[in-house]
Amino acid sequence: MPKVKIPRKSTSIDMTAMCDVAFLLLTFFILTTKFRDQEVVQIDIPSSTAQIPIPDKDIMMFSVAPDGRVFFGLDDQNTRLGLLEKISERYQIQFTAKQQDAFRTLELWGMDLKSLPAFLDKDPSERASTIQPGLKIDTTGGETQVEDLILFSRQVNNNLRIAIKADKTTEYKAFAAIIDALQNRKVNRFNIVTSAKKARE
Amino acid sequence: MAEMNVPESGGKKGKKKSRSKKMSTRVDLTAMVDLGFLLITFFMLATTFNKPKTMEVVKPAKDDDPNKKDQPAIKMSKTFTMLLGTNDKVYAYTSPDNIDENTELAVDSADYSPDGFRRILQNRQKECAAAWGHKDTLFVMIKPLPKSKVKNTVDALDEMSINGVKRYAILAPDDPVDSVICLKIGQERK
Repeated sequence: MPKVKIPRKSTSIDMTAMCDVAFLLLTFFILTTKFRDQEVVQIDIPSSTAQIPIPDKDIMMFSVAPDGRVFFGLDDQNTRLGLLEKISERYQIQFTAKQQDAFRTLELWGMDLKSLPAFLDKDPSERASTIQPGLKIDTTGGETQVEDLILFSRQVNNNLRIAIKADKTTEYKAFAAIIDALQNRKVNRFNIVTSAKKARE
Repeated sequence: MAEMNVPESGGKKGKKKSRSKKMSTRVDLTAMVDLGFLLITFFMLATTFNKPKTMEVVKPAKDDDPNKKDQPAIKMSKTFTMLLGTNDKVYAYTSPDNIDENTELAVDSADYSPDGFRRILQNRQKECAAAWGHKDTLFVMIKPLPKSKVKNTVDALDEMSINGVKRYAILAPDDPVDSVICLKIGQERK
């Protein structure tokens, strides 16, 4: 009797289709990704029923930490450079090319403008670990640093929208100080960044 | 799974015919798929899907013009004032048109839950609708005290949009009535 031969099947699978799917998904995720900003400070935003999505560009962002420190951020690198130029003009601070380059990539910062050059001289890693004191807000005294930031940024980019991202637990006092500064520059319209929630019935 | 190009054995041994070997065109894609999924995982985790929303706020302009004093003030009986205090409390009152020393003022305190503040606001809207014909006559003044949280202000603004209040403003608590109430409830006004 002849032996029945069971044909050996190959264990290899055609990976082509799987590979196609994987790269299709990969392409999708690469295109849709917007990287999370490097956070100088952790901010837990309040929720509201507002439905307007935050615009993608032309944003001037004020971030208010729970302890009341205020940070400033512009989304566009050219606007940042333009702002730095105006700061150096107004405050008589000379920035080196290296410092300008560092400022160009700075997402969010908050400190007295006079200590800015020293901060920009640091390494990026050192900068990330430095605790920043927050912008110098002085709406009643002679200094108008925040007002100048608002004015200069708007001079560089006229389409800027102003957004305030404040932590839930920030005291209103710190929030009011920014609004005060904005109103000193005749900005009466701004946005509060919130996360979406449903209205409770 | 891995495929190797095993040279064909058992051919004609004796004749050394230099025939170019037929290479298999199949490539092992396993590693490539691995890499693909690794990158997908990375991008999935790095993506922020829910974009934050924004709430537009328009503040009344600061009037530097002293001549504006001539403009008629809004009738206080059309208004509704809410003071946002600490510990998530709202103190709401309706100021009468004229205040003298015999005036008594009812101040409601509530929280931000639907049963708390919203009910008071809706009652006031009904009152306004009864007295002036339309609920949009109501003007709500939101006055956050310095120690209140930003969340409270956002909640209050949210409440305006939920209840369809058309006219409202964020103001500073500098009315004399506000200072009396702040004294009573023991909160800082400035």
